[in-house]
Amino acid sequence: MSTDSSKILVTKNLVKYYGTGENQVRAVDHTDLEIERGKFTAIVGRSGSGKSTLLHLIGGLDRPDEGKVLIEGKDIFALKDDRLAAFRRKKIGFIFQDFNLIPSLNVWENIVLPLGLDNRRVRREDVEEVLEKIGIADKKDTMPNALSGGQKQRTAIARALVTSPAMILADEPTGNLDSQTELEVMSLLKSCVKDMGQTLVMITHDEMIAQMSDRMIEIEDGKAVNC
Amino acid sequence: MKMTTRVAYDNMKYYKSRNILIGIATVLTTMLLLIIPTVGKGMADLQFAAVRKMYPSWHALYRNVDEETVCQLAAHHDISVYGLRSDAGYMNLADADVSMMFMDAKGLALYKMELAEGNLPERKDEIVVSEGILKELGQRGDIGDTVSVPYQIYRGGALDLTETKEFKICGFFEDSPSNLEKRIYTSLVSEAFIKEEVPKEEIVYRFLFQISDTDKSTTDNIETAIENIAVQFDISENETNINTEYLAANYVDPVTIPAIIIIMAIIMLAGVITIYSIYYVSMNQRVQEFGRLKAIGATKRQIKQIVLREGLCVAVLAIPAGLALGTLSSKAVMSLFIYLFKEESELMKTIGEITRNGEVSLCYWWAYLLAITVTLCTVYISLLRPMHKAAKISEVEAMHAQGSGKKTQSRRKGYEYITVGRLTFRNLMDNKKKSAITVISMAATGVFLMVVATVLSCANPRESADSSIVGQYEISPIIKENDKEHPELSWLQVQKDNPLDENLKRQIEKLKGVEKVEAFTAIRVTGEMFMEGDVNAINGVPEEYAKELEKGIEKGKVTYEELKSGDKVILDSALKHWYPDLDVGSKLELTVHDGDREYEKEFEIAAVGNYDSGLTNYSWLIMAKEAADRLSENNSNLYFHIIADKDYDQKLFESLEEIVKSSGRIEMRTWKREYDQWKSAMATTRGATYAFLGILALISVMNLINTMLNSVHVRKKELGMMQAIGMSDSQLMKMLQLEGLFYTAGTLVISVGLGSIAGYPLFLYAKNQGIFSITTYHYPAAAAIIVTAALILLQGLLAVGIGKSVKKDSLIERVRFSE
Repeated sequence: MSTDSSKILVTKNLVKYYGTGENQVRAVDHTDLEIERGKFTAIVGRSGSGKSTLLHLIGGLDRPDEGKVLIEGKDIFALKDDRLAAFRRKKIGFIFQDFNLIPSLNVWENIVLPLGLDNRRVRREDVEEVLEKIGIADKKDTMPNALSGGQKQRTAIARALVTSPAMILADEPTGNLDSQTELEVMSLLKSCVKDMGQTLVMITHDEMIAQMSDRMIEIEDGKAVNC
Repeated sequence: MKMTTRVAYDNMKYYKSRNILIGIATVLTTMLLLIIPTVGKGMADLQFAAVRKMYPSWHALYRNVDEETVCQLAAHHDISVYGLRSDAGYMNLADADVSMMFMDAKGLALYKMELAEGNLPERKDEIVVSEGILKELGQRGDIGDTVSVPYQIYRGGALDLTETKEFKICGFFEDSPSNLEKRIYTSLVSEAFIKEEVPKEEIVYRFLFQISDTDKSTTDNIETAIENIAVQFDISENETNINTEYLAANYVDPVTIPAIIIIMAIIMLAGVITIYSIYYVSMNQRVQEFGRLKAIGATKRQIKQIVLREGLCVAVLAIPAGLALGTLSSKAVMSLFIYLFKEESELMKTIGEITRNGEVSLCYWWAYLLAITVTLCTVYISLLRPMHKAAKISEVEAMHAQGSGKKTQSRRKGYEYITVGRLTFRNLMDNKKKSAITVISMAATGVFLMVVATVLSCANPRESADSSIVGQYEISPIIKENDKEHPELSWLQVQKDNPLDENLKRQIEKLKGVEKVEAFTAIRVTGEMFMEGDVNAINGVPEEYAKELEKGIEKGKVTYEELKSGDKVILDSALKHWYPDLDVGSKLELTVHDGDREYEKEFEIAAVGNYDSGLTNYSWLIMAKEAADRLSENNSNLYFHIIADKDYDQKLFESLEEIVKSSGRIEMRTWKREYDQWKSAMATTRGATYAFLGILALISVMNLINTMLNSVHVRKKELGMMQAIGMSDSQLMKMLQLEGLFYTAGTLVISVGLGSIAGYPLFLYAKNQGIFSITTYHYPAAAAIIVTAALILLQGLLAVGIGKSVKKDSLIERVRFSE
């Protein structure tokens, strides 16, 4: 399998099992994937197919039982925990279904948090540009509990974008949104890919959303069946 | 099982981790509630058992009782047991003191004395001796053998000339190490011997007795009974000696019960704060759950029942564990205490022996019952508000709640840049109430600890001894007021023939080791401004103490020279406490009592000062000695303060004792004895207080552990999120440490700051009240350092422990975590 520069993410023989014996669940079962830079890839599958586990492994949130994940050619699981955390905050932006904003921080603080954790200086104009683009420039002092679902997810998107990561991993980012907001968020994410050249890997079980992607990977019983 | 109980039980299992925390808090509360009364009662019982071993068992004795009164007293219905003692005289030996006395079998038992062998003397030539006495006599003998004894008998109020008589040994005492070391012994003779030697009218007894029906009596009741009997038989207060130590060791002191209640209340309060704070946090998270229950038809009462039963289910499981831990800890605390203080005093040594022999049972069923009841009350009180809060949740509001349930502001200016420190600060601010409850409850203990430590650090046995006596030895005439039998011992009579004269002074000054002898004068005064019957004295202080007098002035101004005028006095603030109207400039119209003469004189209060009791000897109107001497035509020396080159010198002490003994009219107090007494008293007090404070601090620490555990527990997902977006483990640790540091710093600032400030007024109070004879303020630096170091260490360990427990779950489990 090639690791040329167009492939931002490569997984090799990735395995993650839960439980033992009869109760063993093969969440990710010898999966090989390649994701291209600057593309929107959707990972689809039924509930329990292992797509979330795959995303977690790709994002370095969980360690595999076997196999490798290479991001920009680097084997992320060769890194120790602290280095992996640093790698994550530099290279990966996460967007979760339930937003996962820090309730004690306002919108601005939530967005600049990954920069702070990375000891990077905040370039005010860059952050404001992201806020402007995401459409929450007027909400920067607002606390998460005063935001609508769509605004919360926009904040989460801004947080994922602010570090200019190599790749954005989104776990059903529209799962908790109404259909109108869902469309808005999706078009925002698409524009990030198109305008900013971001790589987006998104998990969804929504066929319509998957259709908006550049490429669709279907997961069944932990295996990629249609890459 | 009832529906509410079923739901409560299932909830308890479902919210396992949270209920484990509540369980731990309950275990600790139960444990502490058991430890306090068990250790308190245990230590008291041990001390009392030691006292019972060391002290005689009579409740009181009446001195100088004649035979007829003995018969009448014996028949008194309030007296259950009595014994007799009558002092016959002394053996005339060069270097040893051997008293000769008659004691009946009951008397011997009440004194806890027993014969090693033989019988009590009955015939007039029988005697009980010891090997030590025989050695001092330079003779040998066994039971039935005859010894020759030179002795002096008390006759006519004095020791008569030496006689020698042959006695037949009828019994032996065993010598104690103290007998042999001090060469002080007791021998027993028969009543028949005394009756033969002393005229009948001169024979007096010490009547030792116990009061009847004392099973449920308090010490106060027994003392009242003793005083009542004395009044009935016209026995003066001076002739009555109440065995207060023994009474305290055997009967309930009414003061101890409120003290135990206060301590238990403090623990209960700490328990309520801890358990409530856990519920406070969990309730916010469970708004939705209770809303759902309401939506499907649960009534308010049922919701309350569910919350209450869940709490009680946990308590039922936690209480036995707390009792078990409490039992073990009580034993450990007491063993440690005894181990630490075993060398401090004879009493502690005896306590150690008693513990080793297992003579006292240190388990009390009532303490268990009390701990269970109070813990259940604590849990119930802690649950009241959560129950109310859960029942109040509206169905609709609950379904919409996003879990946090907190009312926070909708907009807030934020930091432009977020660091781990700022993140921590935001979290603490977001949980202001919880942070404040933790800090304040911990600080309350800290302040209490610092305040008590201030008093303890000021209580220095050396300083207390220094303040209660001037110099190393103090000699004063024996004075007994209102004693009809000894009118010559009243001060006004003593003045006329005062043993504290120049001869005695010179005699003492000649002794080796004496640097100087300072004479202090006392002039008795009464006045209309004083309460009726209140006799005060003008204290004539020698010029050597001029500086000390001027230094002690708190209000007004006067020089020693001015005090020589004889018209001006310094008022000690102790007297001002009783007569607050007296102040600088007040004129005192006083009657001066001097021997047989009385006259009126006006004095002006020139200043108000604060002086040690050693200097004033409770004569609180102070004047220059030469002026005080002018007020009297007699010798008004009340004290000779002997300044020696050493704090204690056995030879000098013996020489002074000799002088005191040969005079018969003077008595002596020594610095060493004061010091020993303070040292022993303080060792016990300090140990007990620090043990209690330590336990109290432990409750507080549980609160910190609980708060930090909770803080992490309820934010498990949030912390997982932060890690998902790139927070490293070391950053997580730093954040947890900073949070702990906030609690530590907050607690320390308030505890040490406020505690130090609050300690000072208590020091002043203790000084004014004469508690521990405290004189000088000492900042409790050791306590401050220990508290600071312990808190920092604990917080560091806690952060590491919590960090490890967080990391036990994989990151992905934490991100998914949501209850």
